[in-house]
Amino acid sequence: MTAISLGAKKVKNRRPANSFLSALPWIGPAILLILLVVVWPAVELIRISLTKITSAGVLEGFNGLGNYKLLFENPDLKTIAIRTVVWVLSVVFLTVIISLPLAQLINQSFPGRKFVRWAMIVPWAASVVMTSIIWKWMLELTSGEFNLTLRQLGIQHGQPVDWLRDPRFSFFVLIWVAVFVSIPFTTFVILAGLQSIPHDIIEAAQVDGASAWQVYRGIKFPLLRNSLLIATIINLINVFNSFPIIWALTRGGPGYNTDTTTTFAYKMAFVEYNMGPSTALGVINFGFIMLIVLVYLRVTKATRDQA
Amino acid sequence: MKKIGLRRLSAIAAVSLSATVLAVVPAHAATTIKIITPNYTDAMPAYYADLNARFEAANPGIKVEHTNLSWDDILVKGRTLVATNSTPDIMNLNTFSDYAAADLLYKATDIFDAKTLADFVPAFIDNSKYNGTAYAVPDLASARMFFYNKKILYTSGVNKVPTTWAEVTAAAKKIKAKYPAVYPIAIPLGSEEAQGEFAIWAGGNNGRYFDNDTKKWVINSKANVETLKFLTGLVKAGLTQPSPASTNRTDAFKLFSQGKVGMINASVFFPSTLKDYKSKVDYGVAPFPHSATGKSITLGVQDYFMAFKKPGNDVAVKAWMNFLFQPSNYAGFLRAAGGFIPATKSASTAVDSSLLPFINQLPNAIFYPGDLAAWPKVAGTITTQVGTGVIYDAKGVLDKIQKVAVAAGTK
Repeated sequence: MTAISLGAKKVKNRRPANSFLSALPWIGPAILLILLVVVWPAVELIRISLTKITSAGVLEGFNGLGNYKLLFENPDLKTIAIRTVVWVLSVVFLTVIISLPLAQLINQSFPGRKFVRWAMIVPWAASVVMTSIIWKWMLELTSGEFNLTLRQLGIQHGQPVDWLRDPRFSFFVLIWVAVFVSIPFTTFVILAGLQSIPHDIIEAAQVDGASAWQVYRGIKFPLLRNSLLIATIINLINVFNSFPIIWALTRGGPGYNTDTTTTFAYKMAFVEYNMGPSTALGVINFGFIMLIVLVYLRVTKATRDQA
Repeated sequence: MKKIGLRRLSAIAAVSLSATVLAVVPAHAATTIKIITPNYTDAMPAYYADLNARFEAANPGIKVEHTNLSWDDILVKGRTLVATNSTPDIMNLNTFSDYAAADLLYKATDIFDAKTLADFVPAFIDNSKYNGTAYAVPDLASARMFFYNKKILYTSGVNKVPTTWAEVTAAAKKIKAKYPAVYPIAIPLGSEEAQGEFAIWAGGNNGRYFDNDTKKWVINSKANVETLKFLTGLVKAGLTQPSPASTNRTDAFKLFSQGKVGMINASVFFPSTLKDYKSKVDYGVAPFPHSATGKSITLGVQDYFMAFKKPGNDVAVKAWMNFLFQPSNYAGFLRAAGGFIPATKSASTAVDSSLLPFINQLPNAIFYPGDLAAWPKVAGTITTQVGTGVIYDAKGVLDKIQKVAVAAGTK
């Protein structure tokens, strides 16, 4: 990364026609790396999605759009696609709603603030699989801490609730765990936004007699727009791609009841050995992510131009 | 600064160059064979480490690169390795037929001489055939029976171990009346092993997945729909653990080991699992219950060793496979795998007495249609889908699986 920015400075002194060539030694490694780890796998993915592939994993030549046709004939795809949209939107929305006041809280100075900030970042720093497995244990049917506590408090009577296996509850549990692991990152992005708000504006408002709520509503919140946008878009990508939470907690089951298009692609390939349509879904997922990334680039460019 | 850029460039070039070289040039000096096996138990890696050390000492020209994987991982890895052209030389898996159909495997007769082949249990070798030719050999097998918690059953006033579906229902009701906190019968239809759980219940009602006489898939047959409806009835009456469609076999085994389940379908290795769990449950084992029109069956399940055809590996894979199946080495394999039925006649003579009831059931065994190339795909779909039959419409769910099976073909 440093090589790129330094290279860019240097080329200012040269003739523009030469600029790309003379920059190449500096940006070359980065370009090579991107070609190797981003472009090549994407090209391979698309190539395989147009290839006939057996359940054993043997490639059997060009297949046109056959895999895509099979995918769209799948009767379960529509429900799973709708669930994916619900999943992404609700997780991101809840995350942002909870993170806004949390960021406000840890922006105040109070004794032990350092500890609170440190504690808040743990769920983010820890591996998502680890966090998911801990939740799995907590919510376990007969021996999980959650059901035991409910029972001891006298809230739960009779048969315990099967939080992770009962399709009436499991999707909501998944949403909650996804929100839980997304909150730290989002809160800290918003915190950074809060800290970049100049103090004099707030002081001026306070001198003019604005209440705390008015300051927040009229000054802080509007100035948080950029950090909120960035936090939202990065969360959109993260949550859409989120495989480990769903896989560790429910494996997308029962049936396809808690699958998103991400886990469904995996399940088709490696549980049902239905390789062809799975590669097609992989390409569609990839395309969707590219779309969000484009929006992200647009937004960050717009905010940078503003500044 | 320029230096850094160039250094980076050359470093990356060097890395990618060496990666290409590694990928293109095969190792020549000694033959290296890659072997991938699942961990039946945690004792497997140590067993293979010892086996391979002795093998390499006895075969100086051959090196073994052995990978031990969990069952979850090996099911994924097997497919990925083939798709990326890095097929291993030997694998131990629960299916072989689609590899055989793709012409990737050596025939069993290429690997073993007639005498060794004749020592395998004939039924298991028959299940290792694709289009009439054995492309794999059995490594071990399991059979299932009906396990019950003696204390729960007897103190609930059930005097006779249930042998029919009607008796199962009656016993379950008595258990529920006596022990409200116990799940009378566990029916794990979660994706781990739903194909087995459903097969053994359906089998007792003359239901099968594939009809060997007509060579057709019969997943949505009347017998199978009836079976799924019977299971749904147990679920709806509250006689099972909650959410059977997402209860995995391991979850159900744990509940049984804690004394929270009265009756369960379990495999030959279950006693050793209960020992691992330090379970204090006093259990009994009985033939599996059947419907009014069916008869008691057991589900025979076997896994396979298969060798992949690759230029220049024939001598090495032959040597390793024969080494593994030398009686003393194979006995060690069975010990490490923990409580399974041996796949060879010679090893069958020396089994633990606790295996005998299961071996006695084998004449009544039904098997998966594991010799069909379509089976891995069909089995995968059954595992994820059949359990939802107790939530939704049983017939509709089986129709859906039948459609997948018919599209996958009958070869």
